[in-house]
Amino acid sequence: MKKRWGIMALVIAAVMTASGACLAGGGPLVYGTTEKVIDMDPANAYDFHTWEIFYNIYQGLMGYPPGKTNLVPHLAESYTVSADGKTYTFKLRQGLTFSDGTPFDAHAVKWSIDRVMNLKGDPSWLVTDFVERVDVVDSATVNFVLQNPVAYFPSLVATVPYYPVNPNVYPADKIVRDPSELKGGKIVGLGPYEVASFKRDEEIILKPNPDYFGPAPKNEMVVIRYFADATTMRLALEKGELDFAFKSFNPSDIKDLEQSSKVKTIKGQGPYIRYICFQCKIEPFKDWELRQAVAASVDRKEIIRKVFLGQNAPLYSMVPMGMFAHTDNFKTVYGDGNLDFARRVLKAKGYSEDNKLKFEFWYTPSHYGDTEVDMAAVLKQQFERTGLIDVTVKSAEWATYRDNWSNQLMPAFLLGWYPDYIDPDNYTSAFAGTAGSAGLGIHFSDPKWDAKFVEEQTVTDLDQRREIFETIQKWWAMDVPTCPIFQGTLYLFTQNNIEGVMISPTLQFNYRTIQRVQ
Amino acid sequence: MKNILRYVIVRAALTLPMLFILLSVVFVVIRVMPGDPVSSMLGGHAPESVIEKKKEELGLNRPMIFQYVDYLWQICRLDLGESMILKQRVIDAIKLKIPATIELTFFGMLVTVLVGVSLGAYAADKRRSPQDYAIRIYGIVIYCIPVFWLGLMFQMIFGIWLDWMPIAGRTGARVFASTFEKTGFYVIDTILIRDFAALKDVLIHLVLPSVTLGLMLSGVFVRLTRANMLDVLKSDYILAAEARGIRHRRVVYKQAIMNAFVPILIIMGLQVALLMAGAVLTESTFSWPGMGRLLLERIYMRDYPTIQGVIVFFALIVALVSLVVDIVYALVDPRVRY
Amino acid sequence: MKHSPSRKMAVLFARFAVMGKKYGVEWWILVVGAAIITGVVLMAVFSTAIAPFDPYDQNAGPQLSPPSRTHLMGTDNLQRDVFSRIVYGSRTILGVAVLAAILSSVVGITFGLISGFAGGFFDKILSLVMDSIYSFPGLILAIAFAAMLEPGILSITVAVAVIYIPTYFRLVRGQTLQIKEELYVEAARAIGASGRRILWQYIFPNVIATTVVVFTMNVGDAIMIEAALTYLGLGLPPSIVDWGMDLSMGRRFLPSGVWWLITFPGAMISILAIGFTMLGEGLAEILNPRLLEK
Repeated sequence: MKKRWGIMALVIAAVMTASGACLAGGGPLVYGTTEKVIDMDPANAYDFHTWEIFYNIYQGLMGYPPGKTNLVPHLAESYTVSADGKTYTFKLRQGLTFSDGTPFDAHAVKWSIDRVMNLKGDPSWLVTDFVERVDVVDSATVNFVLQNPVAYFPSLVATVPYYPVNPNVYPADKIVRDPSELKGGKIVGLGPYEVASFKRDEEIILKPNPDYFGPAPKNEMVVIRYFADATTMRLALEKGELDFAFKSFNPSDIKDLEQSSKVKTIKGQGPYIRYICFQCKIEPFKDWELRQAVAASVDRKEIIRKVFLGQNAPLYSMVPMGMFAHTDNFKTVYGDGNLDFARRVLKAKGYSEDNKLKFEFWYTPSHYGDTEVDMAAVLKQQFERTGLIDVTVKSAEWATYRDNWSNQLMPAFLLGWYPDYIDPDNYTSAFAGTAGSAGLGIHFSDPKWDAKFVEEQTVTDLDQRREIFETIQKWWAMDVPTCPIFQGTLYLFTQNNIEGVMISPTLQFNYRTIQRVQ
Repeated sequence: MKNILRYVIVRAALTLPMLFILLSVVFVVIRVMPGDPVSSMLGGHAPESVIEKKKEELGLNRPMIFQYVDYLWQICRLDLGESMILKQRVIDAIKLKIPATIELTFFGMLVTVLVGVSLGAYAADKRRSPQDYAIRIYGIVIYCIPVFWLGLMFQMIFGIWLDWMPIAGRTGARVFASTFEKTGFYVIDTILIRDFAALKDVLIHLVLPSVTLGLMLSGVFVRLTRANMLDVLKSDYILAAEARGIRHRRVVYKQAIMNAFVPILIIMGLQVALLMAGAVLTESTFSWPGMGRLLLERIYMRDYPTIQGVIVFFALIVALVSLVVDIVYALVDPRVRY
Repeated sequence: MKHSPSRKMAVLFARFAVMGKKYGVEWWILVVGAAIITGVVLMAVFSTAIAPFDPYDQNAGPQLSPPSRTHLMGTDNLQRDVFSRIVYGSRTILGVAVLAAILSSVVGITFGLISGFAGGFFDKILSLVMDSIYSFPGLILAIAFAAMLEPGILSITVAVAVIYIPTYFRLVRGQTLQIKEELYVEAARAIGASGRRILWQYIFPNVIATTVVVFTMNVGDAIMIEAALTYLGLGLPPSIVDWGMDLSMGRRFLPSGVWWLITFPGAMISILAIGFTMLGEGLAEILNPRLLEK
């Protein structure tokens, strides 16, 4: 996922003895979050939280078992790949129907993909960049014909835009915001839960879907309660009004909750990264050496300590730790707060106390949480510690922020990334490949890099791919289209009597394994 | 009778130019200001071409007079526009959120009247005593304490330190509004379905926000009640009642208040403006999902049509309330006529 | 003749007491108000001397530490000294409030004088406009303005100023209408004095007294509105030290037991607003006892 809360690679969240545990009773499970649902439509939803809900009310042709990292067929029974790697044939599970009686078949799959391609919503690139067309072979067989061979295509199929929806209920030409806009007024999916009631920004009530083909949920109802701020959510959790809560807490709340005996902490390294983007086509960061100088003065440890009370991990490459091919190039080349390096480069470029490098540094105040203001303030101080930089901090709300980067108005800005699929490609080509980079307002373009990206996307040998990514990361520390800052740690808190919370490395959070034990 | 009817009609007719002016002011504020909202929306330094494109999209390039007429015509049809960002009609957004605000302001007013009137009456009764001065100081102080700070302090003391009350929201996390919501007024809804546990939850969530909002306005009420009461207490029939031997306290708290009440009722109407302002801040502090929060959220999102629509709505309410208050006043005071 | 400082204080106090006897409680209310205001003004003017640390210094002390001897009001999460931020914040709030009051008064008084004096259609229209703005909730109008303009000192000043223009307008226009009919103005007109002269020499001076009271109350209100706007995150960028902003940023640390981030900014806003209100009330009673109810 590009810049929003997406799927994260959490090492298995809670390996509990859930399997043999008694069936939970005791009422609905209440799940607190400060996230917001935008569009209840797989063709346009592109935020972490809405995707999480979809994991539980829909299914994809491929998916991950709860808490596991291996991809397995879900709605599909199996798949085969053609010799040239461009055609994937999926055999679909038979006998499934949506709860209104509409059969699940190849027609539904094709219809859904075509719809995504037509509507051109935010996440549609996950389909349109790779898939050329979908063909119905027979009612239980579907062909995906790709534009080019893609090594990680099955993990793409596990993403939400690929989820089949009911053709009788979803409009073909419109993006749906609320379930009330659907024919019949309700969402009918193929997943373990169905939406019993939907009140935007208040609560969503999920009840087990009787037509689900997999194991039934271990709880009788999950209610997602939306909070306007983290403070209230923290207090509700402490008072026992919530069974579990996820995203996002204030650092001070995380600190207190971790130490509290009243709640259980589930923590893991997320694949969520934060970084600074440079606008590589306009002054001053057209000059790669200036990008280096600014990147060198970043002191990650100070940011993590001051702003996040020590709760995240410093990141020295765009490829996150724990992912294959990760290296720490920014550490070896710059380290943290390398003021000597920065000063040297700046002085060589002609900057001095009287002639400082001036630029605007942007952040967005609420999309990534309340800590952004502080992070920008700390970074400003770090840059200005060189004595040769003068920073003006500016901010814009998310909608404006996105417009700004499209219009190249922000020389340097803060951004975050949740992966759409687990592969270093998602963390690199999206920022430095010519097409992706322009889409994110970075406008970095180097044919050498583009060639490497094409190579790693088509090559299937793991060692070869690793080598390519290591080269790309090495180049990254030189050309610095973006400067990584930290990798997020995920925190989920539950009451002491809750078991079975499993979050997969892709951040697929299945509610059906959660239960309350006595 | 005919007289008052004439008053009502004339006064209602007079509302129109007032409304017209108000709506025009809103139009001007949102559109014709330095710091072009579109460029402000785009971060302040957008190149001309980009600004032009956005303006075209929003229909802001048509001659101002067309936009103005369009705007007024829309309002006549009670169409307050459609959100630029969320594809939702403004009037629908308002309909969703307004019961929460009405519930909050209703209970807030209750607190204001209870506290303000009783303190004011007491102060008038004990004129020039230390209690009187203390109450007058209270009036000044409570007005000057920012309502959001008062709210935060209450949250800190009663919500966090003492843990007596919840600090935000209309219901607890385990109370699901969708199970009882019908009118949007949760107090009524929970009574209708006889879910008294939910009712208790809803009421306890109302305590801190309405007390905060209520106290904020009580200062004004204390002073007004005191002033009115002083006048009433001096009047002849009060003296007569005392002469007849009715106990002093009964005189004050029954006769005097009753007579001072009507002007107070009227003042209540005039305080609507202050109430709305207080509601915005209170809703923000207590995460109360009402109109005030709606306005703020859309402002942060830079959703201009909704912002304009909500402000127009506020203007309509102000005009309506002022009309009603004037009519009530005319009903009560026969000297007010055209 | 040189007098010792303590003698001077005694004389001053005696004078105060005399006035107090003369005017009663109102005098003391005025004095307290004036004292508070003076205190804060001094804080604003001598910030650099009074504040022990730079309000932007992110290494002033430990993180989130409670009030202590070195940090009288504690430190925030970016290790900045809260007391220094309070001291410097007084500049922002006082500056904006006074500037806004001056702006509204100049505009409102001017229009009030002209409108009241000129009369006719112009007067009717302007009165209607002013009445409409007056009846509208001030804070919401200010929020609308602040939201439309780019955050900055000028923007927030304008946002606050707009609300009070009708107040001055109504006051001055009313008085102008009254005085216009007075005998001595008629006489002046008979002699042939120009409109402008009449305005300036006869009407204006009489209007001033009440205006001063309103101005004081206005600044008090402006302080509240400024704090409300910055609390909501509107009007000023976070790089300017401001009480309302610090209040909203300190909120999230409350459940962790951090009480000092919200207590001190809020208390200061209240105290300053109380100061101006008390001064206004006291002045009103003393200058014009009929203005307020007994």
